[in-house]
Amino acid sequence: MGDFWFEFFDIAQTVGDGLLFGATYALIGIGFSLIFGAMGKLNMTYAAASLAGAYVGLAAFTFLDAPALIVFLVSALASGLIGLVVYVACFRFIPINNHLAALMASVGALFFVDEIIIHATDGSPLTFPAMFDDVMFFLGHYGVRGDLLFVFAVCIVSTVGLLYVLYRSRLGLATRAVSQQDVAARLCGIDVHRTNAVTFVLAGLLGGIAGAMTAASVGVLSPLITIPLTVKGLIVTVIGGLGSIPGAIAAGLLVGGLENLFLYFRGVNERDMYVLLLLFVFLVFRPHGIFGSAINRD
Amino acid sequence: MAYYLGLVQLIGIHTLLGLSAYILMLTGQLSLGQAGFFAIGAYSAGILTVIFQLPILPALFVGALIAAFFAFLVGFPALRVKGLMLVVATIAFSEFVRLFFFNLSWRVPRGDISVGPDSTNGFREIRYFVANGWSAWEITAFVWVFVILVMALLWWADRSRTGAVLRAVGEDELAAQSVGINLTAVKVAAMTAGGFIAGIGGGLYAHTATYVDHLTFTVLLATFAIAYPILGGLSSVFGTLLAVIFIQGVLVEGLRFLGDWRNIVFGLMIIAAMNLKPSGLFDAPTARILKRAIGLDGRGQNGA
Repeated sequence: MGDFWFEFFDIAQTVGDGLLFGATYALIGIGFSLIFGAMGKLNMTYAAASLAGAYVGLAAFTFLDAPALIVFLVSALASGLIGLVVYVACFRFIPINNHLAALMASVGALFFVDEIIIHATDGSPLTFPAMFDDVMFFLGHYGVRGDLLFVFAVCIVSTVGLLYVLYRSRLGLATRAVSQQDVAARLCGIDVHRTNAVTFVLAGLLGGIAGAMTAASVGVLSPLITIPLTVKGLIVTVIGGLGSIPGAIAAGLLVGGLENLFLYFRGVNERDMYVLLLLFVFLVFRPHGIFGSAINRD
Repeated sequence: MAYYLGLVQLIGIHTLLGLSAYILMLTGQLSLGQAGFFAIGAYSAGILTVIFQLPILPALFVGALIAAFFAFLVGFPALRVKGLMLVVATIAFSEFVRLFFFNLSWRVPRGDISVGPDSTNGFREIRYFVANGWSAWEITAFVWVFVILVMALLWWADRSRTGAVLRAVGEDELAAQSVGINLTAVKVAAMTAGGFIAGIGGGLYAHTATYVDHLTFTVLLATFAIAYPILGGLSSVFGTLLAVIFIQGVLVEGLRFLGDWRNIVFGLMIIAAMNLKPSGLFDAPTARILKRAIGLDGRGQNGA
């Protein structure tokens, strides 16, 4: 076999790993989309709250020696709780049509959460327990990292769980009703504030899992991840089409795959620059995202 | 004394940063990318005085032009999508600029040492003022000449047709369009003007601080930029100035005793302010009360 084929295998392997890791971006994107779909607002605290959830999970691991499953559960619950607090602090009492104020308040909450994390950890990175990192599956020439496969599987399970709640339960029906027409939903007797709060908790649960997954596959948890994860989550949301869940999934995988490709060709320092450029490519050629509707809500 | 002059310079520079967001917010657009234009201005002006050894005035001007050019470029695709999409696009742009300067290494030999941006180590040799023997008073006056110039220009523009057009777009895009205003042209123009102002601010910042690195230009700085006009309200440029004095002069200095905890309080205060006064601390009714309190009745002033 020639050099070309070796390089080809390397690239395919890189993209494959990236796609698996992209599942975490997809989860963060889904969270942003859920909240945007429900309220038409951006919750800038979301990614920070997800990582904060992962920190609580890590605390459970460090101090209580909790097993992997519990770590993920604790992360998800903590992040869901933070989601609820963020809703009450930044969205509940701000006039529904004032997007600016809600955005600013959630940026304030982003700094607040970030600073709490920095204070609690003295700003230094902590190691997060990796799961199945010694497992490797082989398919012909390709190896599949066990930890990434695990991340991917958890993401699929939680997405399916979310879709089940959204499309097969009364709670989901209410959430979708509020996101389509909140006045009509109110007339049908749906408590909008309660439904929005539930949406924030649901998104938070998902975010906590994503945060723990990110930390588990990177191996460390550090306050330095917060802003990049926020930006990448937002990019995934926009590329997928604001408010579109299938779009967020596709965009998450796309960003994950391409990110590893950029890493392979250009190195770690320049990787994120190309991911950011990708957003502008979409803004120019496909401003409403992969699955976004042409009518844009703002 | 030098410390207080430094604070006065910082207030001036942050006023420019806030005004760059203010002009865009008049058209109803929110940009979290002002830190990016500020960074472009800072690095460009710094490179021009350090590597090309230009005097400060042309360096600032060219730096601001470069920032304005990028604002124009970002404005076009970003403004095709509205509102919150612009927020995302501008954050992404700002992070892109930060990573660009994080990677930028452009060292040239100057005597025994080499000077210029040195990627992660930052850009440390912007010593134009020191090298030319400017005193702290002169630097402060220099900064404030720009602040007063920009404020006067914006204040005047606000009272001319330009201001009416900008505010019309901000109030109701559909109505503005139906009286023949070209929405894209107005928004891109406001974005470009904002980029220019932020660029001047950045250039001044680089030269007063003598040192910049990529960590200077984070999302926190972009948040400051929009926090000033949001706190100060959009009724006049003086609101932004008041907000800068309030945040940088009173809050940041006044909370110094809290040490590391100051940033936590800062986040909480943004949340509290937005919940209590969602349309800005110095919104129109408050501004009227303030004016009456200091004997400047709003109506009398406009009627004159």
